[in-house]
Amino acid sequence: MYGKGLLKGLGITFKHTFEKDITIQYPEEMPFLQDRFRGCLAFDFGKCIACGLCTKACPNNVLSFETAKEEGAKKKKLLSYTIDLQYCLFCNLCVEVCPTNTLYFTHNFELTKLNREEIKIIYHRPPELDLLSEEKKTDNPGVQVEPSDAAETEAKRIKQIEAMKMALGKNPLKALGKVVDGEEDIAILSALIATDEKKLSKIAELMVDDREKARKIAQAFVSKEKKDRQKEGGEQG
Amino acid sequence: MENWFLNIAHWLTSWLVSLGLAPVWADLILLVVQWTIIVGIITLNVLILIWLERKVAGFMQERLGPNRLGPFGIFQTIADTLKLLTKEDIIPSQTDRLIFKVAPMFFIIVAVMLYAVLPMGQDMAVVNLNVGLFYFISVGSLSTICILMAGWGSNNKWSLLGAMRSVAQMISYEIPLAFSLLGVVMITGSLNLSDIVQAQHNIWFILLQPVAFVTFFIAATAELNRGPFDMPEAEQELTAGAYTEYTGMRWALFFLAEYTNLVAVSALASTLFLGGWQGPFLPSWLWIILKTYLIMLVFMWLKWTFPRIRMDHLMSLSWKVLIPISLVNIVLTGAGIELFRWMGW
Amino acid sequence: MFTTDLYTINIGPQHPSTHGGLHVEAVMDGEVVKDAIVHLGYVHRSVEKIAESRTYTQFIPYASRLDYLATHLPTLGYVQAVEKLIGVEVPERAEYIRVILGELSRIASHMVFVGSLAIDLGATTGLIYCLRDRERIMDMFEMSSGQRLLASYMRIGGVITDLPEEFFPAVHSFLDDLPKMIDEYNGLISGNEILQARCKGIGILTSEEAMAYGVTGPNLRASGVAYDLRQADPYGIYERFNFEIPIGQRGDCMDRLTVRIKEIEQSGHIIRQALKEMPVGEVRGKVPKVIKPEKGKEVYHRIESAKGELGYYLVSDGTEKPYRVHVRAPSFVNLMVLPSISRGGKLQDIIAVIATLDPVLGESDR
Repeated sequence: MYGKGLLKGLGITFKHTFEKDITIQYPEEMPFLQDRFRGCLAFDFGKCIACGLCTKACPNNVLSFETAKEEGAKKKKLLSYTIDLQYCLFCNLCVEVCPTNTLYFTHNFELTKLNREEIKIIYHRPPELDLLSEEKKTDNPGVQVEPSDAAETEAKRIKQIEAMKMALGKNPLKALGKVVDGEEDIAILSALIATDEKKLSKIAELMVDDREKARKIAQAFVSKEKKDRQKEGGEQG
Repeated sequence: MENWFLNIAHWLTSWLVSLGLAPVWADLILLVVQWTIIVGIITLNVLILIWLERKVAGFMQERLGPNRLGPFGIFQTIADTLKLLTKEDIIPSQTDRLIFKVAPMFFIIVAVMLYAVLPMGQDMAVVNLNVGLFYFISVGSLSTICILMAGWGSNNKWSLLGAMRSVAQMISYEIPLAFSLLGVVMITGSLNLSDIVQAQHNIWFILLQPVAFVTFFIAATAELNRGPFDMPEAEQELTAGAYTEYTGMRWALFFLAEYTNLVAVSALASTLFLGGWQGPFLPSWLWIILKTYLIMLVFMWLKWTFPRIRMDHLMSLSWKVLIPISLVNIVLTGAGIELFRWMGW
Repeated sequence: MFTTDLYTINIGPQHPSTHGGLHVEAVMDGEVVKDAIVHLGYVHRSVEKIAESRTYTQFIPYASRLDYLATHLPTLGYVQAVEKLIGVEVPERAEYIRVILGELSRIASHMVFVGSLAIDLGATTGLIYCLRDRERIMDMFEMSSGQRLLASYMRIGGVITDLPEEFFPAVHSFLDDLPKMIDEYNGLISGNEILQARCKGIGILTSEEAMAYGVTGPNLRASGVAYDLRQADPYGIYERFNFEIPIGQRGDCMDRLTVRIKEIEQSGHIIRQALKEMPVGEVRGKVPKVIKPEKGKEVYHRIESAKGELGYYLVSDGTEKPYRVHVRAPSFVNLMVLPSISRGGKLQDIIAVIATLDPVLGESDR
């Protein structure tokens, strides 16, 4: 009979009207992500051996890195690693090719940025990598082994902070170059932390825990100090 | 509760008279007040209706519909309206400016005019016109001129196609619409909507005139330009049909008028076939609101289920199916009335 | 007695129902389409040229961007073409995984077809139900490869890694629910009389015309030609599976719809067989690290994609990058019949014809 199909359609929509809705309320409710989900491409600095296979595998020149060869050293030293995420196809080719599992996909899919520059993810060489190798040479050979419990981690962290403090005191130019740019700024900051114990420990702590934050805080210190100096200069003049 | 609105009206008139106004002026002021209230209610009602439509569509599609602003997203339409009000009013350079500008205004005016005769409850018609039904149909068909104006004034091929479709559709569906109502008029013997409601005291006309109700419903869907007969708009074919070039509040006026028309036609359907404001327990004005909303929900249900019918099928549905059926219905109704008279009921 | 002027309207490139950047210039007489001219190239991304500047492996993610609705099929075709070029053995298990994922892609693509036909004809809710069901396939793609839309899971010599454990219950429950979904499409979309009235006898493509134009895939089968590369020229391991080739009688829009709905069922059968026979083992064959085919060697490989015959023509110049890659895109060829079958129809018919030809503009414009 003509119209049977129409009624059946009406029945189907009517049935679904009272069914449970399938919407995921996204910002409040996160979607379930599978294990292999390819979110943001991330990089584990410590594992990288700077072989360059990833850059060759990438179809779109997303990956690039800088190396330096120190005198006497056999291996090249990785200075920074850049993932220009805006060109990334999330094709998994670099992850597959990496011999040390340095590159991996996180589950973070909220990759929107306000500026084009922020899309680039730049990893700088963390200072503790150099320090660790020094320590390794001298008295603590087991430091690179994964710590088994939280207390050990904490102990290691405190040790790292102490080492950082030492490094900051001994060779401020080299250590601080990682958080502030320009010789003038480094000079200002080193003068600051030489006088102020609190600032020294704070920067040391942050450099071990969160480099981005350390960079921000250090820059804030410098700019504040600069302003103060200008003010003083103004008053004097 | 039943007489809330009537009491307010009586109180207002007597207060105006006590101020020393002549009763004629008091009545006139009352009319203005009634109109203002009706326009206000229509606007508010449309806000709720758009929200309801989106919610119904959402539930039908296993979504949630608007749910961000206010409880259940009830304020979503208000936010949308504010957005539309603040938008730039773009008038394309090649348009027929006068026609382009007045078309949405005419459309909304025509839509509001329909409410003059609708009985909103017992003794609650603004104008108790004795040719109410005739007035309703004739004013209702004016809206096609506004769509034609919009389509012509826009100077856009899509708009013109939509407008021409609208005219063709309106001409064909005006006939079965009027014919299907004739059965009711024949039984009642009156064109006054209040009388028609009174006549349904014992039995609703949907039971006496089921065929007329179905033809009326289909023809009304076409008259309202709602899916599956939304030819003038036809988003997937004509981008937005007659409204393609409109932006901001001018476009919103079309939207407002379409929903106003929807409420008016649903109210008419409930008046003619579902017993109007009659019903037990609840006050009469609440009954008509309930019945109107029920019919509107059915309209929404149809719209979100069916694909759009093709233009020539639409025409043949009207001329080859609906008009003959409604004519047969008139004949049968007349025969039935004669039969009942002969049997002396 | 009266004559009317012809006028042209531009359906697209910005239009709600052109499935991307398709531009059809319709010459109209009132509501009747007198002629339709297809303008292509709005989504041209020079994919073939990109292929020449990438190594053989690096082109895989670009291949999946050709037909993004059936992501595994274009990569499968490309990967098999390269395998043919360098002569690589693919492990058994990888072949089965490829079949399963390829057929799931076909189902996903056809579901989008059914839904987009519904919404192009004005039935919004039909689209949402189809997309809801397709979402389950997308979840399975996410399980296997980590990407939902552009998976690039195929690799030269196999696939990236084995399927995860949770994939199998998901695909089984999906296959169990498949008949229910098809019932729903038949009830809401293809069983609807309004839709039937708009599709039956509309845009008739005769089998002669279809073959003359080189139309392939479900569009050709709807015209009554039982030509399916999975049986006519089996690639991979397709000769091991039993399935029917659904064909239509009239070649109108309705046949194109019903053929696709039946193909969804047949793909379900193929997946069931593949799941049953799937062996255990490696999923990636031995492939040289740097792929350098012989100089001057060329190969043409074709597969039955969701849209039709998808062919890759590769020419090697002995380096690690191909000298030339040509893609025989089925959507491109299928779109060419649009003028001839929409002539004489109504404006509303041309929308149905575009929807049932199922073009993917990423593929046809390349």
